[in-house]
Amino acid sequence: MSALRLTVNGGEHVLDVPVGTSLAQILRDELGLTGTKIACNEGHCGACTVQIDGVPQLSCITLAHAVEGEVTTIEGLREHPLVEAFVRADAVQCGYCTPGQVVSAAALVAANPQPTREEIRHAMAGNICRCGTYPKIEEAILSWQG
Amino acid sequence: MELLRPSSLEELDGGLLLHGGTEVVPLLREGLLETERLVDVRGVVPRGVDGAVIGAGTTLAELEVEPAIPDALREACRLAASPQLRSMGSLGGNLLQATRCWYWRLGYDCRLHGGDRCHARDGEHREHAIFANEFCASAHPSDVAAALVALGARVRTNQRELAVEELYRLPDEGNRSTTTLESGELLLEIELPPAGASVYLKAMDRKRWAFPQVGVAVARHEDGSPRIALAGVAPIPWRIEGVDDLDAATPLPRTEWKVPLARALVRRALAALA
Ligand SMILES: Cc1cc2nc3c(=O)[nH]c(=O)nc-3n(C[C@H](O)[C@H](O)[C@H](O)COP(=O)(O)OP(=O)(O)OC[C@H]3O[C@@H](n4cnc5c(N)ncnc54)[C@H](O)[C@@H]3O)c2cc1C
Ligand code: SF4
Ligand code: FES
Ligand code: FES
Repeated sequence: MSALRLTVNGGEHVLDVPVGTSLAQILRDELGLTGTKIACNEGHCGACTVQIDGVPQLSCITLAHAVEGEVTTIEGLREHPLVEAFVRADAVQCGYCTPGQVVSAAALVAANPQPTREEIRHAMAGNICRCGTYPKIEEAILSWQG
Repeated sequence: MELLRPSSLEELDGGLLLHGGTEVVPLLREGLLETERLVDVRGVVPRGVDGAVIGAGTTLAELEVEPAIPDALREACRLAASPQLRSMGSLGGNLLQATRCWYWRLGYDCRLHGGDRCHARDGEHREHAIFANEFCASAHPSDVAAALVALGARVRTNQRELAVEELYRLPDEGNRSTTTLESGELLLEIELPPAGASVYLKAMDRKRWAFPQVGVAVARHEDGSPRIALAGVAPIPWRIEGVDDLDAATPLPRTEWKVPLARALVRRALAALA
């Protein structure tokens, strides 16, 4: 066991967990923040995407003890207009990839409020959607400001 | 397992090095790497671009938008992996990434793992090598390494300075490693020589976010001659002198398709620089 201090969605947490535990495991199992999904658990799919200091990263292959910076999960983006935009555009089927999609999209529009289709495709390429909702996700991001 | 976070090179004392962890963490989880001591080297490896010198800790995301580096390197970074992985993964870690050969990743006791058989040669190998594939048929996955080899980049470690090309070796019976890295050796900086125009072209099985089927880097050097290096065609980044060298490829039955693909990309890259 090894002490760990984490800031998640503005709240501070002090935990004692073994080195090797992933950030995704901590979020889901220790903090109950189950909006962050684990699908491949090896860096391929993007379901586990969270922001660290505003930058999308993969929590399944991030060691919790190596995190430097503040973590933002989908729960911290509940009020983000993108959530509503995803609903409006019907950009959800099974929904498993959706939290990761919104987390990546939120970082994109923070840096670039009016991205082009090409910019969206480049920035969102790490979030796989098995249901194939890509065109609707693109629509949601293009229209996120309402 | 413990995690150390040294802040100076003097503090380094064995253990498994970790930078972004995009390779190390999955390999630990699969049991392909084992250690009692993880060493987070982010505190000791330089990060950022200073003239022709790039810190090995610079992320691929930082490099893909860096105007001061050659086009081939910027493009290789932009086309590598996914946005999240590029933000996490370092240049040094990218150069030292392990093969994506599925037999190796699934822990088969193959030659690269010290065994006496190459399962890919006899089995599924459509993503594998077309050069130097006699002992191990794996295909080197790094776009970035191919670009640096074409550019003639050098790497400074805590022990020596060498060409990026010399960082790699073909595995053989006596030594199964694909790199020449010594134990305790740390990549610190990459230095780029002056070069003219350069280009990186990459074929993938989908439009974005995939390993190279074939990657082609070409850089024009000061004397006007182009230097060509390929990703995805041999167990290490592979240099050829010209398109005709592809006639000497030794593809496996299901990697033959890579030869005309490589030929077309090399021609296209040379034409782009003409
Ligand atoms: C799913 C996936 C897809 C990918 N797709 C591509 C692709 O298309 N093209 C491509 O080029 N790459 C690709 N990559 C590779 C990716 O770019 C690398 O995993 C990443 O750059 C490694 O950097 P890191 O800092 O995370 O390395 P780590 O995982 O921290 O380390 C990787 C290796 O390097 C060693 N190491 C790290 N830093 C140093 C150092 N400074 N000195 C000495 N040893 C060091 C570690 O001990 C380890 O052996 C992909 C990776 C994944 C996981
Ligand atoms: S190609 Fe190399 S890594 Fe893959 S099975 Fe053969 S020896 Fe092992
Ligand atoms: S669960 Fe992390 S990338 Fe798939
Ligand atoms: S909505 Fe099902 S995976 Fe994306």
